[in-house]
Order: sequence, then structure tokens, then C-alpha cells
Amino acid sequence: MLGQLFIKECRQTTRSLIFWLIVLILVWIYASQLGETEIKNEPMPGQESYGLQISQDPELIMRSTLKLLTEEYFQGNYTTYPVGFYKNVTLNEEENRRIGEILEATAGIGSREEAGRMVEAWYGADSEICLEPAEGLTYDQFNRLMDEVDGILGGGSSYSEQKRRRNAKVPMTYEDAVEEYRELIEEDRLTGGYARMFCDYMGIFLGVLPVFLAVARGLRDRRARMQELIYTRKCSSLTVITSRYLSMIVMLTVPVLALSMVLLQKCIIYAGAAGIGVDMLAFVKYTCGWLLPSIMIVTALGMLLTELTNTAVAVLVQGAWWFIAMFTGIHSLGGGQYGWSLVPRHNTEMNWQGFHDGFGQLAANRAFYAAAALVIVALTAFVYSQKRKGKLGVYGKILANRKNES
Amino acid sequence: MSATIEVKNLNQYYGKKQALNDVNLTIRTGMFGLLGRNGAGKTTLMKVIATLLPRSEGEVTVCGKSTLKAPEVRRIVGYLPQDFSMYPNMSVYEAMDYMGVLSGLSREQRRQRIPELLLRVNLQDDRRKKVRALSGGMKRRLGIAQAILHDPEVLIVDEPTAGLDPEERVRFRNLLCEIAEDRIVILSTHIVGDIEATCEEIAVLDGGKVIYRGTVADLIAMTEGRVYSAEIDKRELDDLKSAYVVTSMLTLGNHVMVRFLAEEFPFSSAKACEAGVEDAYIYLMQKERGESVC
Repeated sequence: MLGQLFIKECRQTTRSLIFWLIVLILVWIYASQLGETEIKNEPMPGQESYGLQISQDPELIMRSTLKLLTEEYFQGNYTTYPVGFYKNVTLNEEENRRIGEILEATAGIGSREEAGRMVEAWYGADSEICLEPAEGLTYDQFNRLMDEVDGILGGGSSYSEQKRRRNAKVPMTYEDAVEEYRELIEEDRLTGGYARMFCDYMGIFLGVLPVFLAVARGLRDRRARMQELIYTRKCSSLTVITSRYLSMIVMLTVPVLALSMVLLQKCIIYAGAAGIGVDMLAFVKYTCGWLLPSIMIVTALGMLLTELTNTAVAVLVQGAWWFIAMFTGIHSLGGGQYGWSLVPRHNTEMNWQGFHDGFGQLAANRAFYAAAALVIVALTAFVYSQKRKGKLGVYGKILANRKNES
Repeated sequence: MSATIEVKNLNQYYGKKQALNDVNLTIRTGMFGLLGRNGAGKTTLMKVIATLLPRSEGEVTVCGKSTLKAPEVRRIVGYLPQDFSMYPNMSVYEAMDYMGVLSGLSREQRRQRIPELLLRVNLQDDRRKKVRALSGGMKRRLGIAQAILHDPEVLIVDEPTAGLDPEERVRFRNLLCEIAEDRIVILSTHIVGDIEATCEEIAVLDGGKVIYRGTVADLIAMTEGRVYSAEIDKRELDDLKSAYVVTSMLTLGNHVMVRFLAEEFPFSSAKACEAGVEDAYIYLMQKERGESVC
């Protein structure tokens, strides 16, 4: 029964306008974000630039961070991202005074005027001018004082522990570029890196789009006045819900896989010309391991909330969750710091090392969401079975039944 | 397993409101009519039998199976709700096939049974038509077809003829009677004509209580000798209405042919008439309210 119902649900999904809108959006995302992707060429000696990389050198971190603090102190405005949202912070006199004290202790800048002169000098200079930290300043002291600055600013500033480690960017050397390229070719076998980038872009939208399909499917019974017809059938609630869930998961995964094949083809053509071996299944593996849990959890939550409330409230809930996930992930765009975010970010085909280091966390993250999705589906089936028995109704028993009572 | 529905001491509450009050019924094979005003509790009773509502108090068994065991009851019950509809973008055949899968029918069973049923409800030529394109009568026929798709022992139909034109109504009643030859069909309606044309056994509900349980003939017999007709002047109509319960009237120029209920012979020009179900129903309702018909 499950198999036949699954096929019928898939067929129904292909007739859903919402489904085709989601497919269109995914195609548009692919075309706009990845359509022009060029496969990275091997770095050549003597290139003008090999790009930038983040340095973990404490000395460089201190210089870059203090330079930024000097600029913001002079301007009197500080940019922060508390909970991921942009915020322009203006401090009161007392707080500004304390920032000034910290700047003096860390960079030896005694006044706002002095900070202004330095900033003017930086802008007027032909080449990069470094800001030297105060003599005797240790990295520990620096960290402690920057934590205080971040606290004064309300958190989410460039001086927070997480962000200041990314403040120091240095030009990549030829050797660094070659090493990164080697990782892409040997460790990732080319397609692995591009599959991650593909997952990054697609994951953003798959963190919210499936909820629309789940809500539309849930409300379709009510709109078509089919609820009682289905409720009185022999089919178990678990079968009804599972068939719907599986059909949505499959129907959402298929277009994603199809789009990934376009990028795979690019990789294959490049690799063929360059004589490189590729992992032909990388996109399938990444799609199933990275994107599928997102589709699963978003769809499951959408189904549960729709069955529970008979409304489209799931769109609001999922929208809020997605928004928070998106903006909190803004600090880890380069990958490697996946945490428990619904939308793990890795906005580059490179950084295999970061992916490798953070793989355990990413695997735990994805496994958690996949498992949670299955639990939610089971819960949805329970809610559905209660509704079939007339034990649950969004309007409450009285109103729900009074409506049809005769 | 007995082909009966037993309802014993059923009480049903929606919060503090009592929708069914100590209902006791035994329903056997054939057409069984549930008659009553809107809000009398007919739909509530049928929903309890169809396992769509958990009973508050009492006991309900369908062919020997308690409604507490909903999955077992669902196998043997077909249900056509009052506001029947199906996914509008499905064709008639697809809709039937979908319901067949939900009913646990195999592919072979569906292939055999669906065309048979569509033929029976005269929808075989419309099998490719989308549900949204069906007329009200066609939709009801599709509703009946889906309800008996899994060959249930009990068919529950709620207000099936509401909104149908007279021809469709007659066709629908006949269809129900055919179906009721070998199973229990519970027909809920507030249209007395439907009951009169199809049911032998009925129950009349009012305010959640069964106020009559028996045959249509017995119900009519209760009213024998209390139904009269008279041709009166139009100006006398208001007086007559205030004195008796008028069940029908037909205007003929300045005169009105009136049919009314009276406990005793009312006046010399009145003629005694044979009682109909409608007269009997009105009489019963008047009695239930504690009001005299004259």
C-alpha cells in the first residue's frame, strides 16, 4: 500500500504549482550563483595574485583588529551583527571613554584626534600601513581587552573571539595556492570541492523552500474537503503520512540532483582535458549527506505544524528559523565551522582542510537533523491518527464539530 | 458476525453541550433513515458510527466490532460526507483509484472494481473528466462509488440529495436502494421525501434524542385521522394557521387548498386525508415540543 500511495503522491506533487515554483527557484539559484562557475585552474608561477587567505598569526591578528578598532573609534560608529543581524552601534560618553582607554593600552593611541590622524594617514598612503600593537602587549591581554570591547558593543562585533581570528588576511603565496589546488585535485578529486559549494548555495534555499510544499500538501485535503474521506479509510495514519513525506523528499531531491549533474558535467569536461581523475559520485554523496537532511527536517516540521494547526503557520516558523540560521552562519562562510546550523556554510570550492577538520561536527549536525526529522514524521503520524479519531482539531472539538453538525 | 449496528446508551458531548442524549438504536440490513432538523444530532451520530468522533459515553458496535477499534470498523464502513468533494485536479478514475489504494485494494481489484462501479453510477463516460468539471449530481454519484469501492458492509450517507435537481434526486435514491439490498445503508436527511421514497425503518432525532424509532408505516399510522384538507377563502388563512398546523397549501385564485393537522374533526368543509410521512413528521415534532396541533 505504501508503495502505491507513494507513487500517487509523487504524481500529485508533479501537478502542484508550488512544486514547480520551487523547481524554478532552484534553477534560478543555480543559474545565477553557479551557472558561470569556472573550474579553478592550476596556479602558475609569477601570477599577479593568488588571492587572500586568513592568517592565524597572533601578531597579524592584533594589528588588523586594532586598525579596525582605531577606524571605528574615530568614526564613532561600530558595526555589529548580534544574532546575525546588521546593527550600527553608537556608544555613550562613558563607553567611548573606555574604548579609548583600551585603544591606548593596546595600540598606544591616546586620543580620538590621534586616531583620526592615523586613519587619514592610512587612506593617504600608497601602500598598506600597519598599526603596531603597544609595546609589551601580550596576545592574552589583547584577547581579554577585545572581549571587553565586544561586550561594550553588545556582541557580534569584529572584536569577538570568533571574528577577530578572521580579521587578518594575507596574500596567498604561490606555494600556498599550489597546496590548496593540490587538495582540490587529490583530496577532493575536483568534484568534492564543487559539490560542497553546490551544497552551500542550494542548502540556503532548501532550508526554507520545502516548507511551502509540505504546507500546501497538508492543506490540500482540507481545501478539497477530503479529510473525512481519507480518515474513514482502512489505510493506517503512518502509511498516509510516510507516503506523503517520502514523495515530497524524493520530488525535492530529484531536481537538486539533476542540477548538480550540470556542474558535474563541467567538472568532467575540465578533468578530461587536464587529465585529472574525478569522483563521479561526489555530487550524489554530498547532496544526500548535506542537503537531504535539510530537506527532511524542513519538510517534516512543515507537515507536523500543518497537521497540528490546519494552518500555514509552519511557513512563519520555518521562515524565522531559516532567517536566524542564515545570519548566524554569516561568520563561517568559508566553511570548517559548521556547528549545529540548519544551513551549514562552505561558500568556496577550496578549503578542503577546513572541511576535513570540521567533518565530525558536520556529520553530527546532519545526522541530528535527519534523525529529528524521522522523529517528527512519527509524531505527525500520531497527530494525524488522533485527528482521524476526532480527538484533535484546531478549532477545538466544539467548533470543529458544530460546523458540520446537523 | 452480525450485520447490525448496535447503539447503546450513547451520549455525546461537545464541551458542555450535549449533542446526543441516551441514544439507543439497532440498525439492520437495508435502508435506514435518520430524520431530523438541522442540529438534531444526525451527523454527530453518523460520525460516531464512522469512527470520526470518539464516543463520550455508551457503546457502539458495527457488525459486532466496537468503534473503539477504529481500524477494524473502517474496513467495513463506507462514508459519504455531507460536503463531499475530492481533489479537483484528479480525473474521476484517478480519484477512485486513489481511494482504492487508501482502502487497501490491490491493483487487480481496483482495475476490476472501478469500471464496474463507474458503470453502476453512470459515470463510465466521464472517467477521464476532472473532478472540478463534474456537476453536483455527478459528484454525488462519484461519492457513492468511492464509498462502496471496498464493498463495505455499512454505507453511511449524510444529506446526499441536498442541492440536487429532482431528476438527479430520484436517480440517487434509486441507486441507494439498490445498494441497500445486501448491506446496511444509513441515510441522514432533513428532506422527508427522501425517507418516504427509500426507507422502511427510520429514527427521528430531535435535540440529540431519538423521539421515534420504527417503521415509516407506523409513523404514518400515528397520524391517521389527524390530517385534513379544506378549500378556504384566502382571508380565512391566517385564522386557520393560528388554529392548526398547516403542512401544505396551494393557492387557487381567491381560494387556498390547505392541508393541516387536527386532533379532532375541525369544521364541516374539511375532509379527512390519508397521512403522509411529512404530515407524520410534523405531527411528531409538534408532540415532542409539547404543542397541540389544534
